[in-house]
Amino acid sequence: MEIGLNHYLVLATILFGIGLYGVMRRKNLLMLFFATEILLNSVNIGFAAISHYYADLTGQMFAFFVIAIAASEVAVGLGLLIVWYKRHNSIDLDEMSVMRG
Amino acid sequence: MLEPVNVSLESLNLMTLAPMLIPIVGALLILVVDLFKSNIDKSLYVMLSILFLFTDFMALAGSSSAFMQNGTLLGLFDVMLVDGLAIVSQFIIVVASMLFIPLALTSKRFHEFSYPEFFALFLFMIAGFQFMVATDNLILIFVGLETASLSLYTLIAMHNREKSFEAAVKYFTMGALAAGFYSFGSMIFYAVTGSVEINQIATVLVANGFSDIGFVMVGFAFILASFAFKLSLVPFHTWAPDVYEGSSAAMAGYMSIVPKIAAFIVAMRFFEFLIHSGLVWVEAILYVFVVVTMTAANLWALVQTDVKRMLAYSSISHAGFAMAAVMIGTTQANTALLLYWVLFTFTNLGSFSMLWISRQKKMLPGQNSDHSYEKFAGLVQSSPMAATIMALFMLSLAGVPPFALFWGKMYLISAAVTSGYTVLALIMALNSAIAGYYYLKLIVYMFMKDPVDSRYEKVIGSNLSLSLKTIIGIAAVGTIFAFIAVDPLLQAIGGFVYNSGY
Repeated sequence: MEIGLNHYLVLATILFGIGLYGVMRRKNLLMLFFATEILLNSVNIGFAAISHYYADLTGQMFAFFVIAIAASEVAVGLGLLIVWYKRHNSIDLDEMSVMRG
Repeated sequence: MLEPVNVSLESLNLMTLAPMLIPIVGALLILVVDLFKSNIDKSLYVMLSILFLFTDFMALAGSSSAFMQNGTLLGLFDVMLVDGLAIVSQFIIVVASMLFIPLALTSKRFHEFSYPEFFALFLFMIAGFQFMVATDNLILIFVGLETASLSLYTLIAMHNREKSFEAAVKYFTMGALAAGFYSFGSMIFYAVTGSVEINQIATVLVANGFSDIGFVMVGFAFILASFAFKLSLVPFHTWAPDVYEGSSAAMAGYMSIVPKIAAFIVAMRFFEFLIHSGLVWVEAILYVFVVVTMTAANLWALVQTDVKRMLAYSSISHAGFAMAAVMIGTTQANTALLLYWVLFTFTNLGSFSMLWISRQKKMLPGQNSDHSYEKFAGLVQSSPMAATIMALFMLSLAGVPPFALFWGKMYLISAAVTSGYTVLALIMALNSAIAGYYYLKLIVYMFMKDPVDSRYEKVIGSNLSLSLKTIIGIAAVGTIFAFIAVDPLLQAIGGFVYNSGY
């Protein structure tokens, strides 16, 4: 069977769903960062596939920007995580309940 | 073999980039200055930031006069788009930032302002917002949005308090989710149309008569969700009160103004072609969002015991109010939105600055939140001036004539009526009435009640310094004398919005 655009898009959607589920359910901050990475990288697969389908480079450009942004997001996130860990000796989101809501 | 690409420098139109490059250069300069000589007093950095923002302002004035003559400018392979919306919103962003940065010169020392990185990140953030509004390319919107958001998370965390880390992490998680939604939504639109520029997406979709309506619907849902996070529309607002409470009052005031106007402009560019193409469900979804945001946030604000959280819910409600203009989508409504936001900038900056002057280093025994209503009880007896100014901002937020926001609300509601949204106008008016209750509650506390604890007297105004007084003065003057400025502002904004076709 020929693997076409739709297969890639379905793969991207499934990965996006996994990432979304991870962001919603994970209580460990590090795992939550992994989930956001999956979320953003699923989009990259989609962009690369669509870009190939249209023979247009814009999608791949978008994918590169998404990679760069995902990397910088993790850099900031890890910074916050380290500060949090130093203060609480834990990276559990459930401990963050000083404020309501 | 690839042909070498020849691009003439004129076709790049580098002038369109100037307003964004100025704050970036300023940020780098601040970092370099720190490299050569550390431990410089923060006032130097504040002055440098104001200087660069002022230069930015002048560059914007230059591009606005170019817009008056030649219409919309494109630059850098048509990625940059300098139209009326971009210019007006950049003016709001830069002016609000100029009014915010002197709030760093408090009489008490705060951790975050002792780092030059604070000011560098602040300028990078402004450049990010400016990129976001001055383009219709989804890639550049994404880059601008994330540049600004990542800087903002760091700025919140730099406040160095238990709650501010919690706020930063919460905001970060929500922001990462919003970034995922945004990129997935753009992927769907790219898949359907083969383009990442909003005007080309619109052209392609209209040309094929929205044949892939299912995909458009899903893509719209994702994009809407990501901007609902940024605009804190209910039910994506859950982060907002916590983040406002955790960050410093000045930063919270800033967050209620500048990120939202940038998101409004992008929402305007994105949603209006969908609404004007006669997609009824887009309008219906936005209608529900607007009504629910206005009403629910107002009801939550009623039960708050902390003034800052009350103001957080009130800004959510105001965002819903302004989102109505995006939904209506006429030139009059868009003009009203920008006018509303100019007036809201002055009022909200003033009210958050009033909280900022009463910032305590440590909480008193028995005090469980930073800015509880009890703290302001009987304020009129100890400092009548502060109580009057605070009451002024509250009355303006409630929409009492002749103060600033009354005019904004009036134009927005009249825009709704002229476009035939009578029920919506009625809901907006009713919500203003409900909102009046909790603003008046603070006034009642300040003027009618007796002080709860005499120790609060020393706390209020303890953070006051000359520059804070100046900013509050500017905000107060802007709020009181808005009625003089409304007509010329409306003329100017209306011209910009009309000439860029929104």
